Amino acid sequence: MKYFLPLLVMLLHFNHIQAQSSSAQIQGTVTDDKGNAVAGAAVTVIQTGQGGATTEKGQYTINNVAAGAYHIRINAIGYHSIVVKATLKANEHLVLPIRVESDMNMLNEVNINTKKYNPDNLIDLQRTPMPSMVITRKQIEQMGSRRLDEVLKEQTGLAIVNDIGSGARAIGLQMQGFDSGYTMILIDGQPMTGRNSGNFDLSRITVANIERIEIIKGASSCLFGSDAMAGVVNIVTRQHVSQSQGMAGVRYGTFNTVDANLVGESPFANGKGSGYIAGNYYRTDGFNANPYLSEGKTAPPYTSYTLQGRAKYMLSTVNTLNFTGRFASRHSVNDKSYTGSPTKDKLDEDDLNGSAVLNTNLGRGLRIKSQYYLTRYSTGQNITDLTSNEIIPGNNFTQYLHRGEVQASKTWFNSLVVTSGIGTQYETMDNDAYQGGKHQQNSFFYSQGDWKVSDKVGMIGGFRVEHHSRYGSSLTPSFGINYQPVKMLVLKAAVATGFKTPDFRQLYLVFTNFAGGGYTVLGTEQFAAELKKLQDAGEISAVFPNASKVSKLKPERSVSYSAGFTLTPAPSFKIDVNGFYNNVHNFINTDQVASKKGGQQVFSYFNIDKAFLSGLDVGFSWIAAKGLTIAGGYQLLYAKDRGVIDSIKTGTGNYAKVYDPNLGADRRSKVSDYFGLTNRSRHMANIRFSYEYEPKGITGTFRVNYRGKYGFQESNRSNGFLDPYDTYVAGFFLLNASIQKILLNKHMAVQLTADNILNYRDMLMPGQPGRMILAGLNYRFF
Amino acid sequence: MKMIKYNYLKTLLIAVTSTLLISSCTKDQVKPQLQDGKSTIVNDLPGDVGKTINTGFRTFYFSFSTNAKVDSSQKKTSQWDIAFAKEYNSYVSINNGTNDASYGFGGTGKGSMVVVNKAYDQVTEAPADDVFTTSSITSAGWDSGSGDASGWYFYDLKTHLAIPVKNRTYVLRTADGKYAKLEMVSMYKGAPAVVTDLNWPAPYFTFRYYVQQDGSRNLSTKD
Repeated sequence: MKYFLPLLVMLLHFNHIQAQSSSAQIQGTVTDDKGNAVAGAAVTVIQTGQGGATTEKGQYTINNVAAGAYHIRINAIGYHSIVVKATLKANEHLVLPIRVESDMNMLNEVNINTKKYNPDNLIDLQRTPMPSMVITRKQIEQMGSRRLDEVLKEQTGLAIVNDIGSGARAIGLQMQGFDSGYTMILIDGQPMTGRNSGNFDLSRITVANIERIEIIKGASSCLFGSDAMAGVVNIVTRQHVSQSQGMAGVRYGTFNTVDANLVGESPFANGKGSGYIAGNYYRTDGFNANPYLSEGKTAPPYTSYTLQGRAKYMLSTVNTLNFTGRFASRHSVNDKSYTGSPTKDKLDEDDLNGSAVLNTNLGRGLRIKSQYYLTRYSTGQNITDLTSNEIIPGNNFTQYLHRGEVQASKTWFNSLVVTSGIGTQYETMDNDAYQGGKHQQNSFFYSQGDWKVSDKVGMIGGFRVEHHSRYGSSLTPSFGINYQPVKMLVLKAAVATGFKTPDFRQLYLVFTNFAGGGYTVLGTEQFAAELKKLQDAGEISAVFPNASKVSKLKPERSVSYSAGFTLTPAPSFKIDVNGFYNNVHNFINTDQVASKKGGQQVFSYFNIDKAFLSGLDVGFSWIAAKGLTIAGGYQLLYAKDRGVIDSIKTGTGNYAKVYDPNLGADRRSKVSDYFGLTNRSRHMANIRFSYEYEPKGITGTFRVNYRGKYGFQESNRSNGFLDPYDTYVAGFFLLNASIQKILLNKHMAVQLTADNILNYRDMLMPGQPGRMILAGLNYRFF
Repeated sequence: MKMIKYNYLKTLLIAVTSTLLISSCTKDQVKPQLQDGKSTIVNDLPGDVGKTINTGFRTFYFSFSTNAKVDSSQKKTSQWDIAFAKEYNSYVSINNGTNDASYGFGGTGKGSMVVVNKAYDQVTEAPADDVFTTSSITSAGWDSGSGDASGWYFYDLKTHLAIPVKNRTYVLRTADGKYAKLEMVSMYKGAPAVVTDLNWPAPYFTFRYYVQQDGSRNLSTKD
């Protein structure tokens, strides 16, 4: 009788909840974001008003709950109150562990959103040995960014870099000084493919309907296998749908940029299922940074369509099915002219990702995820010389990746979580620049333990064994420890390993750039035969001694060391300091193996270089006043090739001399002459002011990004390394701002964004657009 | 109190934004000044444009005295001083009737060339005849980077773009025996200070030269 009335009310409002005489029980433990039990938290079933407080061990039990779908609210002092959903069957004993987020960590953007169960990955990417960060939906919305590259280039230690030597469309993400090819791009925990000479163009991904972006800096092959040498960027699409709603948004601004979004989402089948579908249309006229171009752009114009969605269905209290899908298509035509010599550069690409996931929750802390993932990427990009009608081949291929994986996670004593996975993947590549279709396959097993040893000490360790069809087996372990001697200080240290198997290009490429200098690049597997062809055709003037050393490539390997601390001297201030050192060996690089009669180089790939990428990463966040947060970051980076340093030190080899234009002569090079690898800035920094005035629904941001000078290419004379007399891109500041107001009872939002307010341009940065001002409108239905 | 703070911030934001919006900046890549009052500057002389390494490039001939291309039918005459041959027409060659490596072999040209590792304006005198006689080069193009290399450009290993060798000047004896100096500046259209596009139109030659008309060895182009 006690709850008859609330039940009646509930029946009237939620007619899908069926009252049944046989009752069920909900129990579980409330923990905080560090896994500690939260005592004294109030756990209430909203619909019935039933509930109670958690015990010293954070446990709660709610008896005699009728079968049905409920919302359960958890309130605890010092934590955000959250609401979770639960569906109960008659006589069921539902175990519902709940995690609450500390309110003190308002600072920490990572924890603003309540952490929910992730159906796509049982491993929490913030619980890996290497340092990680999260960019939340809220942050992305505040910035007003449209494409993924725009979001990432404002993060500490990340840069978007053009790869001039791979063509005007080759652009990618640099992380801690590693080229784009060394960072794995994941969508909901699964790898995305489709690279242009290793460069992953992130502008093909819309940030609409991205829940958050997780970034791990440092070798992460332990969990993700090959390619995760610099780190990982994981794009998490919307996972949880709680109510029926629709949203439409449009933005318009400089360069005729249009960004339009339409989203619909709803629970269905009495709350057992839920799903959303979202569409995005984006277009831009592109931007030209090159004053010599009379027509055309250096950041090419394009039109892109994206359709993505997810469907979730609870088969039973134990099993849930998840389907995710994404299809994106991009079309771009760049008609270029240098007051004459017109060319047409055309790109068409299609990108498909799909997953079917079965999540099994066996209770008592044991969960299993079984997944099949497929991705297909195809691109066709060619440049037509409109004078001669000759086609200059760009990038033409179709790539498939299939992956099956079973993951299991078990929690013991609320303090040890072990997650393991086993799987296999098969990849095919059909590229015009290779002879015939190519494929490779690998199988893997990994395991990670996350152990909270005591209140002060936590450890995360793991390993991965991978067997590759070409390179055999490899083992990549990792280990991290954190120690909290006092409440305000956490000390962290980690070591992890990374590897990257040679890509198809390094094995099979047969490419002569007839338009851009006439150099030839030969993959190691094709090298002998192709060199002979060139020799027979009488094109070769000299074959260098190293040609005999072209052989089977070995995977590149790295060891990442990371150590630092997080200091929280006051609830409103937090600072993170982290030193990193990546030691890379068997680094694959091209080296000249022969000269053609006209001097053009013939290249092949070698495991020659030993490089190190080392530096310091600092981040802080400060709530300066109510609603005003100031956050910033800084990265110091030394990215150098050891071979160059050794040659300079010994005064022998290719790098022993430098031409000093002031002396007008060669002189012995010094270690200090060597700036490092091209495209790497020694200093990068950013600061972000975000202001939120809740009563008026106004939020605003102002961000300043600095990128220090970096090497562009050699000038002066050819000595194979960046010396002080070479071409550098000057350091620069980019200023961005946005302001948003929420109207009509939170149904409508208007936003004004300004990127690159100073309109900073440099022809050495072809991909950096000038000032962009956009106005946007968002409307939420229901 | 809150309102005041909010208004203050808003005003500040508007002030800062409007200041920034009216200012703008670019980083310009500055080209070197080629004019010296004496030398002849040739801008964007087109080579066999539209051709690729695959199809080959047709050699063309250039006269210092007319500052123009010379028809290939005049190959065996002293009408031209330098030829642009091979890949991208980037090999600058002399007109010498007696040297079989010259495109003018069998003709009347007296040309010869010597490489000088000095900036163009610092080359003030042509070397003695025996230096020309013993000079091992008849053309200059790609530079291998080795110590005795004499090319006028090299390829950057990452960007694959041709970059002119700094402080390298060629002293020539023209087809009719006068002394001259030559600096090759660029093979890309517009001769930008830095080439930023792998498909930047080429070959378009920018270069400057000075011919001493009085027959002496004085090549000073300073006033």
